[in-house]
Amino acid sequence: MGNPALRTEAVWKVFHQEAEEVRAVRGVTLTIQPGEFVVLAGPSGSGKTTLLNLIGGLTRPTDGRVWVDGLELTRMGSRELARMRLEKLGFIFQSYNLLPVLSALENAEFPLLLRGMEREQRERRVRELFQRTGLAGLEHRRPGKLSGGQQQRVAVIRAVVGEPALVLADEPTANLDSAASDILLTVMEELNRDLGTTFIFATHDSRLMERSRRLIHLVDGQIVSDQWQESRREQ
Amino acid sequence: MSSKTAVIAKLALRNLRRQARRSLLTAASMIAGGALLIFSLILGDGTHEQWIDSAVRMADGHLAVQSVRFGDSRALKDRMPSEYRALVERALRQGGLPGDIYATVPRLSVTGMASSAAGARPVRILGVDPAVEAAFSVLDEKVRQGRYLQSGDRLAAFVGIGLLEALDLRLGSKFVLTAQDAGGEIAGQLVRVVGTFRTGIPEVDRSLLHIPLSTAGDWLGCSGDVTSIGLLLGNSQQVPQARSSLQQRLSRHPGSDELQVLSWRESLPELDAAVKIDDFSNYLFQGILFGIIALGIVNTVLMSVMYRRREFGVLQALGLTPGQSASLVLAEGLFLTVLSGTIGIALGLSVTWFLWGEGLDLSSMMDNEWTFSGVVMEPVVVPSFRVARMVQGLSFIFLIGMLASLYPALRALRIDVAETMKFER
Repeated sequence: MGNPALRTEAVWKVFHQEAEEVRAVRGVTLTIQPGEFVVLAGPSGSGKTTLLNLIGGLTRPTDGRVWVDGLELTRMGSRELARMRLEKLGFIFQSYNLLPVLSALENAEFPLLLRGMEREQRERRVRELFQRTGLAGLEHRRPGKLSGGQQQRVAVIRAVVGEPALVLADEPTANLDSAASDILLTVMEELNRDLGTTFIFATHDSRLMERSRRLIHLVDGQIVSDQWQESRREQ
Repeated sequence: MSSKTAVIAKLALRNLRRQARRSLLTAASMIAGGALLIFSLILGDGTHEQWIDSAVRMADGHLAVQSVRFGDSRALKDRMPSEYRALVERALRQGGLPGDIYATVPRLSVTGMASSAAGARPVRILGVDPAVEAAFSVLDEKVRQGRYLQSGDRLAAFVGIGLLEALDLRLGSKFVLTAQDAGGEIAGQLVRVVGTFRTGIPEVDRSLLHIPLSTAGDWLGCSGDVTSIGLLLGNSQQVPQARSSLQQRLSRHPGSDELQVLSWRESLPELDAAVKIDDFSNYLFQGILFGIIALGIVNTVLMSVMYRRREFGVLQALGLTPGQSASLVLAEGLFLTVLSGTIGIALGLSVTWFLWGEGLDLSSMMDNEWTFSGVVMEPVVVPSFRVARMVQGLSFIFLIGMLASLYPALRALRIDVAETMKFER
């Protein structure tokens, strides 16, 4: 059997704010297998985003260990972490965070550009994803000329185009209306199903929770429940 | 170019275009600075070249070969004997020395007294070969009365106007020169004024006179000997190479350790200091100007970094290292400065070339003849266009761009990715 997409072992993250000690993540141990569609849910301040940042190597744990696709992040230097993020991870942010100076296509192919992939191969893969996500014809628009939902779909393509081991999505639907959210979720479900991409979401969005197949509840930085469920859509 | 470098370059250029107005304003200051930099450098070089040219023609040339001891003593006993003179002239005749040698002049220099019925004055007597001296010295262009020396002259003297007046002489007057000869005895020589000159430098006009080299040699008992052989080159930039080459060539011959090759910097230390001081003040002014321009660049690039903190966070989340994020900022600063600086330099060159390529006439600002460090300043300054100066200017601008972008780049390097994402909430 291959490596889990993600494994964390007793991960802690403690922040110091003035004299106060904030324990954002408290001893989280978690394993996620390739192809899972997981939601981290919980109230504000429950540690969802901090946990995603720890998994993405954007912040270092105070204690504990994190493996992505079998690679231990906690021992990596900043260059290795950057390389790992480029090759193993995809990120989707609440505010899309597309680079405004690049077109939709250039944004989507950005990870492949950094990897040095040939232009023809790059464009073929990106155009196929544009087609699949209903964005065909918008390749050369700048982010400012796209709707929120379209921008977020470009962000999803950017996250999955490099076929990462794991896609981390922080509140991806928070800035979208229900129609745009629905389209986005459908796109991600299809990518998960067809390409086997592993998704981990941090969200408040009940629609997203309902459509996840594994729902992990966090409260005060700890996992309080970890449930497998049949998503409503599948039912 | 690696894929990441290409991506960084592309992003840097597009980011500059994104803030077009801000970039253009900063670029405009750099363009003006670059133009001013190159204008002042080439005009400064032209001025210095003119000073040097004027001074070396009055003195011993860009390079002077003389006996090692003559440099300190300036005494006739430390002259260059005829066999050494022949050695030097042979070395020069071989050709192939780097640089353009316009003239080579043998001279016999001695200090003495000039006397007439009206009195006596201390003088510097230069025995010269009139045929070659005219191509070397500027004195033949400064004739006030009569003429310069000619080949075949025997008892002729070409004297400064100040000396003429001090000794109450006229064209055709005779007067007596007295100096210590080669044997250490006091010897006199009667000469006749064939021409007078006025350089504008009072001390020169009062104390310098030229007589034929053969007359000086016979009078002082050292025919064929000289005190120095001067070389006039195309310009002062050719001096170091020509000097080292001539030194090497002379060193192959026995007795060469008795000879030295002096550059104008050693023969004319006051002028050397004047050029260095003038260069320093120019560099200081440019340094201050570019310091101010650099602050503008720091502001533009730093604002851009602060405004795009989240973008830098995203870039790192997508796989750029902190160092690569910093290099993106450096690239933006360098593109901005080097592109605009290059345009500025090109503009400065073109304007100088088209408006003052033949010379910048400052005569309206110079009512009287102006002398500086024993050199008469010409009212028309001809710019000196040198590739080395363009390279120097570009390198300086590159350095300014690098320094000005360093702090913003450090800020980008230290961005906490997770922290930048907090702005979302």
